[in-house]
Formats: sequence, C-alpha cells, structure tokens
Amino acid sequence: MPALLEMQEFYAGYGPIEVLKGISIEVRPGEIVALIGANGAGKTSTLMGISGCLRPRRGRVLWESQEIQQLPAHEIVRRGICHSPEGRKIFPRLTVLENLQMGAFSRRDRAGIERDLVHAFELFPILAERRTQAGGTLSGGEQQMLSVARALMGRPKLLLLDEPSLGLAPMIVVKIFDVVRKLNQEGMAILLVEQAARMALKLAHRGYVMEIGQITMVDKAAALLTDKRVQDAYLGE
Amino acid sequence: MSPASRKRPPVELLYLAVLLAYPLLVYPEDALFRLTEISIGMQLTYIFIYAILALGLNVVVGFTGLLHLGIAAFFGIGAYITGILTVPAYPFQLGFLAALALSTAGAALLGVLLGAPTLRLRGDYLAIVTLGFGEVTRFTLRNLEEITAGTRGLNPVPAPSLPVAMTVPLHWLGIEPDWSLDYRLFYYLALGLLLLVVVLLRNLEHSRLGRAWVAIREDELAATCMGINAARVKLSAFALGCGLAGMAGCLYATTLTSTAGPDAFDFNRSIIMLCCIILGGLGSVRGTLLGVFLLIGFDNVVAPILDGLIQGADINPSGNPLLTFSNWKLMIFGLALILMMRFRPEGLIPSVQIEAEMTKDLPGPRGIRAEAR
Ligand SMILES: Nc1ncnc2c1ncn2[C@@H]1O[C@H](COP(=O)(O)OP(=O)(O)O)[C@@H](O)[C@H]1O
Ligand SMILES: [Mg+2]
Repeated sequence: MPALLEMQEFYAGYGPIEVLKGISIEVRPGEIVALIGANGAGKTSTLMGISGCLRPRRGRVLWESQEIQQLPAHEIVRRGICHSPEGRKIFPRLTVLENLQMGAFSRRDRAGIERDLVHAFELFPILAERRTQAGGTLSGGEQQMLSVARALMGRPKLLLLDEPSLGLAPMIVVKIFDVVRKLNQEGMAILLVEQAARMALKLAHRGYVMEIGQITMVDKAAALLTDKRVQDAYLGE
Repeated sequence: MSPASRKRPPVELLYLAVLLAYPLLVYPEDALFRLTEISIGMQLTYIFIYAILALGLNVVVGFTGLLHLGIAAFFGIGAYITGILTVPAYPFQLGFLAALALSTAGAALLGVLLGAPTLRLRGDYLAIVTLGFGEVTRFTLRNLEEITAGTRGLNPVPAPSLPVAMTVPLHWLGIEPDWSLDYRLFYYLALGLLLLVVVLLRNLEHSRLGRAWVAIREDELAATCMGINAARVKLSAFALGCGLAGMAGCLYATTLTSTAGPDAFDFNRSIIMLCCIILGGLGSVRGTLLGVFLLIGFDNVVAPILDGLIQGADINPSGNPLLTFSNWKLMIFGLALILMMRFRPEGLIPSVQIEAEMTKDLPGPRGIRAEAR
C-alpha cells in the first residue's frame, strides 16, 4: 500500500541552526506512528515541517504522493492534515464551542461540521459541559482535550499530536490515549510525538526514535519496546 | 447570547435617537452655546469623525492584536488625498463622494504597502515600525511643500454639493442648505457615515474574517494550524483599519474646509486614539464609541470650558500656560489610563472574550497587558 505521508530527507532549521538533518518518516493509512526522543531532538520541528509551519531547506514531504512541502500551512490543513500543537495552544479567550468552530475554519460544509461537533462532544463529554466557558479557564487536561477535539474539527485524514500527555495526570493521559485509539479504529492515521515513550509505543503500530535532528531507529512499536537501547534511553529501565 | 445582551439594542437605538434629534430641537444647542460658547453640535461632529478613526484602529489593535502606533498618519493621508483632489489649486476638483472613496482606498493601499513587508514582525517591532512610519509621513507632508503647502495645509476644501432633491426635505426640517451656515449638514453626514461603519464592523465581527482576526490575536500559530492564512488575514485588518482612518481624514478635512497642517496628525493623535480604545475596551465596538465620546469629549468640550472658567475668574491674568487646563490634558489622560489598568484593565465595555480573560484567573496564556506591551 502506498504511504499516506512520506517525509524524505527533510532538512530545516531556525536561522543559522540546523535542527532537522535529513529526516525520513512514513505514515501509512490507518496507522498510529509514534515519534519518540529526548527534549530538543527536533520532534516538534518535524511536525511543524509536515504542517507547513517550518520550511524545508532540502527534502520533500509527499502527501498522497503529491509534494506539499512548498504549500502554505492553511493549504495543508485543507488537504486533511490537522495539527494539535505542543503546549495545546487553544484560544484562551474564545469559548470551548468557539474554539471548536475555529477548528473547522477551513471547511464550509455546515451539516458536516455540526455532525463532527456532536462527535467531538461524544469523544470528550466534559467539553460539552464546558462549551460556553472560555478555553483559558479550563484545566490542563481539559485544554488538551480541547486541542485534540479542535484538530478533529478540521476532519483530518492524518492527525499530528504533539505531546498530548505533557504535564497531565496519568488518568487523564489514559483517557486521551483511549480517544486516540478510538479515532484510529475509525480509520484515522495518527502521528504521535511523545516523551512518555512507553505509553506511546504501546499504543502505536510503528515507532521512530529521534536524536538531535536525525532518525536513529525505525521498527514495529512492539520491537522497540523490547529493544535494549530504547529501554535504556527512553523507558527508564 | 445572554438575555442581557439581547435587551441591549433598544438602549443603543435610544442613544441614536437622541443624537438624531439633538440638532433638530435647536433649543439645547442654543442654550448650551450661550452657557459655554462652544457649539456642542460641531464638537459632536468631530467626535463622530474620531469615532470612525478609532473604530479603524480597533480593527487592527483590538480585533487582530497588532499594535499600530501610527494611525494618525493614515488619518492625515486621507485628509491630504481629499485636499489634493478637491482644492482649487489642483486641477482635479472632484466631488465629495469621489474624494471619500479615493481617500479611503488610498489610505488602505498605503496600509497594505506598509503592512506587507512588516506584518511578520512581532509585537514590539511592528509598533516601532508603525510609529516611525507615522512620523516619517508627518515630516514628508511638511517638507513636500510644492504638493502639500507645508505647514499651511491645503485649503479651501469645498463642501459637498447637495443633490437638488435634498433641498425640500432640508427646508422642511428647518436646515439651511448651505454647509458654511449650518453645522447640521456636517453633523448628519458624519453621523450617517459613522452608522454605516458601525453596521459594517458589527457584521464583520461575526463573519469568518472577523473570527480569523480574533484567532490571530489569541494565538497566531494555532490560528495557522486551523487553516487561517495569517499573512492575508492580518493584511486585511491593516487595510480596513487604515482605510477607515483615511475615510475619517477625508471627513475631517471636508468639515474643517482645510487639511489642517501636518502636525494635526502627529504621534499624540495616534496615542490619544489608542487611549480611547483602551479606555473603552479593546476589541469592542461599543467600548470604542464610549471611549471616543469620553476622551475626545473631554479634550474638545470639557477642557475648553474649564479653560474659559479659569480665564473668567481672573486666576491667571498673566497667561501662565501651567494654569490652563488644556495643557494638563495628556497628564490627565495618562492618569485615567493608569487608574483603568489598575481597576478595570479590560476597559469600560470590554469585548466578551477579553472580559473572560481578564476577570478569571487563567493559568497559562498571556494577558492583554503582556500583548499590548
Ligand atoms: N523557534 C525556534 N527558534 C530557534 N530555535 C528553535 C526554535 N524552536 C526550536 N528550536 C530549537 O530546535 C531544536 C529542536 O527543538 P524541538 O523541535 O522543539 O524539539 P523537541 O520537540 O524534540 O523537544 C532545539 O534545540 C530548540 O532549541
Ligand atoms: Mg517538542
């Protein structure tokens, strides 16, 4: 089966610093792919490169076999790649409902948006309860749920999740990961960036390990979980 | 919408009715004039004009969160475009509507030309660039004497011509169909345009574009992730804001029958307009109108009255400038702003979202004070 997303030899950076040094990543339809690595390895930058917020210096991003690395970010959203960025980045002064509506900004099918809104509230019932509350007044976990739900409102074929577990209680993380699994069972491909490597690899089909701007390992998630080097460096054993 | 906000429109219509009726009643204007020697009707006309200017600034600063410190330059550009297009010294001598349209479009275009290369700058840098542009514009207007007549300004800017069909209803309302004899023509012209602008902004506020402006103000990266074309959306806010400033400038020059000198469009003017929208409530149309009414009303009506009283009471026979009230006004504006920031930082009539942010203790996100640095 051809890959949904293929990042090929992707180089990018900020000013004089090169932070991505030839990244190649592939996501196939219906797959959960985990991208793990230490702080500062370049995981966030990788996602930004896919969603068009960070321009490549070299390399390509293929989406359904078409080059998208030169498209502006708002065009990439339209093609079905939605991004829940690191740090949640919800709109603090907009209500929960308005936040979700912003997620559907690139769409015009009112009936479809309405349906997806209902679906988002089914996945995260707490958001339905808080729908008129300002996003910034939500708890950290609720904000993370809102960030994921908002990305879903763009009706992604591929969902990019940047550290959804960051700073959250384990119980909340389990809840969010359950939703991720459910979305995947509905057919959505997911690229999950995580520092909580064990949880991410348990959830994912395949995993990539990233170190200072380069991919150092690729394998089935189960294989990575039992790999000695991964265990030593990322699983705390 | 809460029930309270659904009940509000009648109150606004009441204000509008008062403003519409005030000049027609004649008596209040005459009585106030005898009392204060100030034509309140004429000053209200200027308040309407400044309200259009402030509403333009509010699109840029309030809705979109881009700190623009040079709005007065676009006000001046509108005034000077009108001057060039209408005064007898130039061959164009266009009518008012054409001048209005071209002043608005010209200022919007210059806004785009300034914005296109600079809007990717963040907060503080954009503020400095717009400030610089404002001052450069003022000095350009002063130094291009062959075109702008330097500090003298361009005049006379002719009054709009009235369609013949208007003379009968005007006569029936008791209004002289002569712009130089009856302030009420300018009054209704400015009020009418202000109304149009308010209706336009009210609709835009809830449109796709309006929501995109606010999303960018809230978090530009997240807005981009939502599929918003940040560059274009910011540029549109800049164009509309600067265009409205140009429109206000055209009205100003027409009402004053002169472009005034370049110094009428200095940094002080920009700051006072910014004070108006901060006082009233950033991002709120209603708040902006209130802020202009209070601050410009204070500047143009209350301060001169107090000056007159001081003069009349013989407290200041030697004409000491420290003993005139007007010279203290910037100090008083500053004090008012400090008190606002201390006691009601969201403004008098805040936008719903900004109020939500200000009145609840939020965990992470930056407050408006951080944004408006
Ligand atoms: N906006 C930026 N400007 C300059 N350097 C940055 C920027 N964002 C990230 N970096 C640098 O790029 C490297 C990779 O960062 P990031 O992609 O956030 O890694 P990760 O998400 O794996 O922690 C880090 O060294 C970081 O300091
Ligand atoms: Mg990161």
